[in-house]
Amino acid sequence: MKRADKSAVKTLGSNGRPVKKRKSAAIELPSRFYGSALPGVKPEELSGTLVVIEGTDGSGRSTQISLLTEWLESEGFAVQTMGLRRSYLVGEDIDGLLAENSVTRMTLALMYSTDFFDQLERRILPALRSGLIVLADRYIFTLIARAAVRGIGRDYLHGIYETALRPDLTFWLNVRPEVAFDREFKKSQTISYWESGRDMSLSNDLFQSFIRYQSMIKREFEYLSKRHGFIEMDGESSVSDLNRLLRKRIAAHLGIRSTHYRPSHALSHLWR
Amino acid sequence: MGTVTPETLTITETLSLKEPAPKRQYPGALVVVEGIDGSGKSTQLYLLKRWLEIGGYRIHFTEWNSSPLVKSATRRGKQRRLLTATTFSLLHAADFADRCERQIMPLLHGGYLVLADRYIYTAFARDAARGCSPRWLRNLYSFAPTPDITFYFRAPLDVAVNRIVAGRPKLKYYEAGMDLGISLDRAESFRIFQERILTNYDQMIETDHFVLMDGTVRVNKLQKLMRQIVGERISLQQFAPKKK
Repeated sequence: MKRADKSAVKTLGSNGRPVKKRKSAAIELPSRFYGSALPGVKPEELSGTLVVIEGTDGSGRSTQISLLTEWLESEGFAVQTMGLRRSYLVGEDIDGLLAENSVTRMTLALMYSTDFFDQLERRILPALRSGLIVLADRYIFTLIARAAVRGIGRDYLHGIYETALRPDLTFWLNVRPEVAFDREFKKSQTISYWESGRDMSLSNDLFQSFIRYQSMIKREFEYLSKRHGFIEMDGESSVSDLNRLLRKRIAAHLGIRSTHYRPSHALSHLWR
Repeated sequence: MGTVTPETLTITETLSLKEPAPKRQYPGALVVVEGIDGSGKSTQLYLLKRWLEIGGYRIHFTEWNSSPLVKSATRRGKQRRLLTATTFSLLHAADFADRCERQIMPLLHGGYLVLADRYIYTAFARDAARGCSPRWLRNLYSFAPTPDITFYFRAPLDVAVNRIVAGRPKLKYYEAGMDLGISLDRAESFRIFQERILTNYDQMIETDHFVLMDGTVRVNKLQKLMRQIVGERISLQQFAPKKK
């Protein structure tokens, strides 16, 4: 049926060029990729929705993703998630590299990009082709920010990720470094080597190092937020308030009327 | 001895960017061999290396795809055929970055003559044949130092392919470019894949100042030529053993 319609438009427009031109212009949507599409991917096949939650450790990303997953599933949407170091191909290898602390910045940046594209090509794109909602627990922006504060050029990094899929919504859970420190310390009773940027020799004091490193990352995010149009959220507000705002934005995008949600017993401990 | 202000710094920086050949930031030198499988490049670089070693020069030899860093990932990806054009390319770039940052750059800064069996042009030729965009690839490897000499060993496709097929009982899946789905026959797929790579190499002869070497010339004659070119283009004296 569709094909017949198309050919009808074509015959009509064959002697009047503008008709055909207007038709093709109407079909064209804002590109789903930053630059050229990944080899072999047809953007028009991707009917799903990509929602990205960005923010440093301690910004409440994982909590919100658990809650949003439950809410979306209760609304009847199938959800797929992605995150850093979760690829089958190199996820564990990166864990190994991080444990050794001997890896150099460029290698680490490229291992992370391998990890990202392995997930994108083999898990996320198939999910989006099937119309799923993908919730990304961090995306290219964290990877760009981390590498940029280590002196790798922003243009270089944007060049690598130009074949990445542009998210439908990108939320940035913004918290002050001091608050992130408190939350992280409470959670694991220590601060990790990488989250405090110890490889950058900023300070021998872990707290100072963490604050300085996270402040640098935050500045990078402020720049990225302008460049990529993040939806900035107050990561310091309560879990339930933040979740309500996130649901509202996502519901508007998906065309869901009701945003009512109460966490199940299994997740009620997150609801503070 | 004028005062350096941020303004003057900016000006000199912009000017130096416009210069055609930027002055090297290090005392070392980099000599690279490139070419498709079976072109004779590795044999020739080995002979060059022996010549310099015997002469006592400060040299280091490095190979494409040799670090243990990505070995397990590459093996996993290849065994289960999970690699796409992009992840194949990125994994090799990560491997190269490790070698570049931990071997090649420190050695160039330390005044070594570094010999590389395959370099970034391998990625440009091969990954583009897999479908990666040449512009994306150029950006990906833009951190790599430009070689002082790039020898491009070129043999006719049939000669090169026969050398490989004769010496190998079975061509591997990715080696034969089977992931491209060109042909179900491995030998046939390998041949077409190598042909694409050869075309991509040929396109870089001018843009990347390759020194074209005829891979069908007798080994010792070709080696003589190679040594002569190295002697002309690089002041080997600076890598020679110090006299007392």
